[in-house]
Amino acid sequence: MCSREVSKLGEGIYLWMGEFSHMKIAVLVKTALDTGQLRVRDTVVVEETPLKISDIDRNAVEEAVKLKGQGQAYGVTVLKWGPLQKRVQEAENVLREALAMGLDEAYLVADEALLNASHVATAKAIAAVVKKVGADLVLAGEATVDNYTGQIPARVAAELEWPVITYARELKVEGGKVVAKRDLEDRVEVVEAPLPAVVSVTREINQPRIPTLLAIRAAMKKPVHKLTLSDLGISLDVKAKASYKPVVIQRKRVIIKDGTPEEKAEKLIQYLRQEGVI
Amino acid sequence: MKALVVFPNKELLYAASTLGEVGALVFSDAEAAAVSGKASKVYVAAVDPRVPELVAEAAAKAASGYDVVLLPSTKNAKTVGGLLAQRLGAEFLTDVISLKAEGGVVKAERYVFGNKAVATVEAPTPVVVSIAPGRFQGEPPAVQSSVEKIQVDAAPKTKVVAVEEKAKGAVRLEEAEIIVSVGRGFKKKEDLQMAFELAKILGGQVGCSRPIAADLKWLPEEHWVGLSGKKVKPKLYLAIGISGQPQHIAGILDSRIIAAINSDPAAPIFQYADYGVVEDLYKIVPILINKLSKLKSA
Repeated sequence: MCSREVSKLGEGIYLWMGEFSHMKIAVLVKTALDTGQLRVRDTVVVEETPLKISDIDRNAVEEAVKLKGQGQAYGVTVLKWGPLQKRVQEAENVLREALAMGLDEAYLVADEALLNASHVATAKAIAAVVKKVGADLVLAGEATVDNYTGQIPARVAAELEWPVITYARELKVEGGKVVAKRDLEDRVEVVEAPLPAVVSVTREINQPRIPTLLAIRAAMKKPVHKLTLSDLGISLDVKAKASYKPVVIQRKRVIIKDGTPEEKAEKLIQYLRQEGVI
Repeated sequence: MKALVVFPNKELLYAASTLGEVGALVFSDAEAAAVSGKASKVYVAAVDPRVPELVAEAAAKAASGYDVVLLPSTKNAKTVGGLLAQRLGAEFLTDVISLKAEGGVVKAERYVFGNKAVATVEAPTPVVVSIAPGRFQGEPPAVQSSVEKIQVDAAPKTKVVAVEEKAKGAVRLEEAEIIVSVGRGFKKKEDLQMAFELAKILGGQVGCSRPIAADLKWLPEEHWVGLSGKKVKPKLYLAIGISGQPQHIAGILDSRIIAAINSDPAAPIFQYADYGVVEDLYKIVPILINKLSKLKSA
């Protein structure tokens, strides 16, 4: 466990006092469905929709890289979307992105039993990796871009029996505890908890770095450990029951691009009056 | 089925009543009095409702014998839901827009994939559910209430050391009929005045995309429309200088008419608009203000 103090000096500058951090940080990285590229027929064809890193997880990775000091930060992914064989390679590519941002290694749990698994099972698998590898801190995005339920960080905390702080927009670690600004709808709370702890972060916490070409190359050599449930010594087989229907929105897509600004304004007003909305 | 409501409000109590017998968990005697007559059983736990682990602990105790635990879709309540659901070995269905019990399972619908799809989910009981606001409108039936105290002995690991209330303005975008929304096309903060003027003439409110509220902080967060901001459903959504990132679009899908003004003909917002005007906002917005104020005063 680490012991150190950090104080914040304006945007993104940290002053390190005392010894360097040797924290071990696990970052939950979801290989999420790319909702910008949904494959849609009568239903959403999940199996054909590409995966990408869940956007807010980049913020969690960035925060881990900033906080780890001389320590270690690793990514944890539990593959949720099948088919397994095809997705393993896709997920590995996603994890390489996180490695290029500065994570040291990654753990990819790929198992048929975890595809479309219940959230209970997913959280158990993540917690099993954290227990196996060890961590002082688990970081995650506030929610993932595909399902956007935001429940996994609290579940993982419950499973590990660690404290949880959700929706952190500022975070520091000092004297064996984590202090965070928790950004809620109507208020901001300053919350502290002893390490080890689970913290979910918002997009506002930092600006995720764009990896350099050098970092991308270096990431190719970093280890991505592939695990199955039997490697973790657990068995889970609870599937979620869900079907996905696309929301069909028919927009008129009338484009007004010819004429002077005056004429265009007149046309827009005409249309909106015909619609009876102004 | 029996449903336990945590952080009760009218919509939650109504949603619970459609499932069966209703219990409610509150955190003070005043709250217990407010919910009396609307839930058969009222549980009072003297814990700090801001601390999710304490609320989850109290809820786990109260939930014994219940099939469904219902929560609001606030961030704090969702944190409670995650903790509670893992303890119960239950699924947690968040932001549901419909909910029913059928043959011992709970069926619900929720928006997923950036609001581009609706998931129909089915979960065995016990199950934890958070409901989307505005979807469960009705009057919870009057019932006889009995009150029970819940004892929570656990010492919390997390501690709230300070609270800063956010400024509350008069902005209620969720209820606005007309929203004039601003994005990065505006070059400086002062220029947003144009949008406020236009909104005033139209009798609408001003919304904004993420960068305006979160990065530039030109407007308070209550104006922010999108996946992590407000989800709106006006009859007219007028997007000015907004490119149309998926996270923004996710917040405006329920709008009746979407109009967009952008100087870039390739801006994604035009794919999602009923009426798109390709023009420099600095040229066209003053003209719109002028014409519409004449129309409105005529």
